[in-house]
Amino acid sequence: MEKLILINNITKEYKMGKITVPALNGIDLEIAAGDFIAIMGPSGSGKSTLMHILGCLDTPTSGDYILNSEKVSAMKRNKLAAIRNREIGFVFQTFNLLPHLNIQKNVELPLMYSGLGKKQRIRQARKVLDEVGLSDRLRHKPSELSGGQRQRVAIARAIVNEPAIILADEPTGNLDTTSGNDILGIFSELHSQGHTIIIVTHDKAVADRADKVISLVDGLISNGNIS
Amino acid sequence: MAISLKENISIGFSDFWSRKIRSIVTITGIILGTMSIIVVLSLVNGINQQTLKWMMERGGLTKITVSRNWEYQSETDQKNYFTLKEFYLIRSLLPEAAYFTARISRNFETTYADNRFRSSVSGVLPDFKYIEDWDVSEGRFLSEFDLKNSTDVICIGSKVKEELFGNKQAVGQFITVADKRLRVIGVMEHRYMKGGNIGNENALSYMNRWCYIPLSTMINKIRNQDEIYSISLKSHTVEEASLLREKLEAIILNLRRNEPVFNIESAKEEAAQMEENAARFQLIFFLISAISLFVGGIVIMNIMLATIQERTREIGIRITVGARRRDIFLQFLVQTVVVTSLGGVLGIVFGLSILNLVGKYLDIQLIANGMMIGVALLVSAGVGLIFGISPAIKASKLNPVEALRYE
Repeated sequence: MEKLILINNITKEYKMGKITVPALNGIDLEIAAGDFIAIMGPSGSGKSTLMHILGCLDTPTSGDYILNSEKVSAMKRNKLAAIRNREIGFVFQTFNLLPHLNIQKNVELPLMYSGLGKKQRIRQARKVLDEVGLSDRLRHKPSELSGGQRQRVAIARAIVNEPAIILADEPTGNLDTTSGNDILGIFSELHSQGHTIIIVTHDKAVADRADKVISLVDGLISNGNIS
Repeated sequence: MAISLKENISIGFSDFWSRKIRSIVTITGIILGTMSIIVVLSLVNGINQQTLKWMMERGGLTKITVSRNWEYQSETDQKNYFTLKEFYLIRSLLPEAAYFTARISRNFETTYADNRFRSSVSGVLPDFKYIEDWDVSEGRFLSEFDLKNSTDVICIGSKVKEELFGNKQAVGQFITVADKRLRVIGVMEHRYMKGGNIGNENALSYMNRWCYIPLSTMINKIRNQDEIYSISLKSHTVEEASLLREKLEAIILNLRRNEPVFNIESAKEEAAQMEENAARFQLIFFLISAISLFVGGIVIMNIMLATIQERTREIGIRITVGARRRDIFLQFLVQTVVVTSLGGVLGIVFGLSILNLVGKYLDIQLIANGMMIGVALLVSAGVGLIFGISPAIKASKLNPVEALRYE
């Protein structure tokens, strides 16, 4: 299958005063379209850094990152914003919804930045909210929803722009088991529809749903592609 | 790929409403600033209009007056009055003038039966009523016949009539002025300037205490001398007034060997001068008001900086889902402009609504116009634009990874 993500010897260092702290020490990674990947590792292993680079929120200190045949590791901030908007859907542990906007408006947000007209935006947002089973809550504020429902809103927001990759950072970390399973079910469903999904987690049960698990230790991948 | 201005404005408004109390506190300075702009500019404008109106009441913009220059200290033997001969000479040299009068005034006690009233009696020409745009309400005004024959007639002001005659008929009766029996031939129209009260007194009420007799009667029968201290004339049109004044000035200077014995004033030029002064005052007061807007702007900048700090995570989320630097910058800049403009609009509304109140208190009519409203609106939006830039830049520079971590 065609490679969606090609990562070649990526490093990332943070400067903290005079000390340079390495976070990633030369990562090579290939992800094909339609993969369901779990990235695991203890805290401090660099998995968040890897996730930020994969999500084009951060750029590597060295190495190449090619996403959908575009070399994003050399792109400027505004270009990266466009890539994030078009190619990546984010799902966070803490949901990261805008509290003063209702959930329809929250889901519309990526479409607004892609310049879509208001009518189309509303139509698209309602469509994906329907898909995650929240079409009766359009005017609710995030605070009026349960954790599981909030995460479903976040997933709706992540897929509304039909991105190439869905990046999830501990998506069940703030949920009870039932809601967590519910959310994982949605990810499996999305995967079966052909979406590429990358989940960062330290929960074995979450990782079990993935096709592949990548383990990160001290900024290095410790396994190749164990299933 | 961009987010439209309309969109940003609507985001700005919804942010404004979702933080009502903070928003209102934020814009208080702007409200007060624009209010003071509106009130102060209207005040200066009102005073200006009032003075113009007064000028119109006192004969209009074509009027030119000659009076003694009290600042002039005579070191020569130049007379500080005109003789009757000089007056007629001046008049003959200015045939283009529409109306001409000389005036000799003196305070006298006027009496009718047992009633007495102290009045200012002026000897004038029949043209006087055209120069002052003032006619009689009963009887008739002085005529050329009266002037030629020095007739013993008088036109009295409404106050004089009231004091001497009460409700009785005045025209046709005789009153005594400086031991002379004069027949009342007319009662002048009552003068009153609408909205022109100064304290309890109307700006024009002094005119109602005056009486008018033929200039010749004053010179030949009462004063027995012809010292004329005041001349008034009128041009046909406002345009001709300046040229007429210049010619008159040249003639008078010529008569007095270039000594500035007299002041020659054109109502039109005075009005122009006054408007210039008013514009200067408006600018000064505007700048003073602008200081409060400047302070308001600094307050807003601080609040916006705090708001951005508070909304770091939101900004991080927006950047994550695809907002570019420009989108964030514009969002916060537009929001600041929306806030200050709204403050401006409220300030204008409040300002306009208290104009009558302030006017009543100061006894001056305050007059606002579209220009002031435009200026107030522009300035309030401008404050947002200027003081919104730095917070907006700060927001647009946030690092998304750090912003998302912000608690």
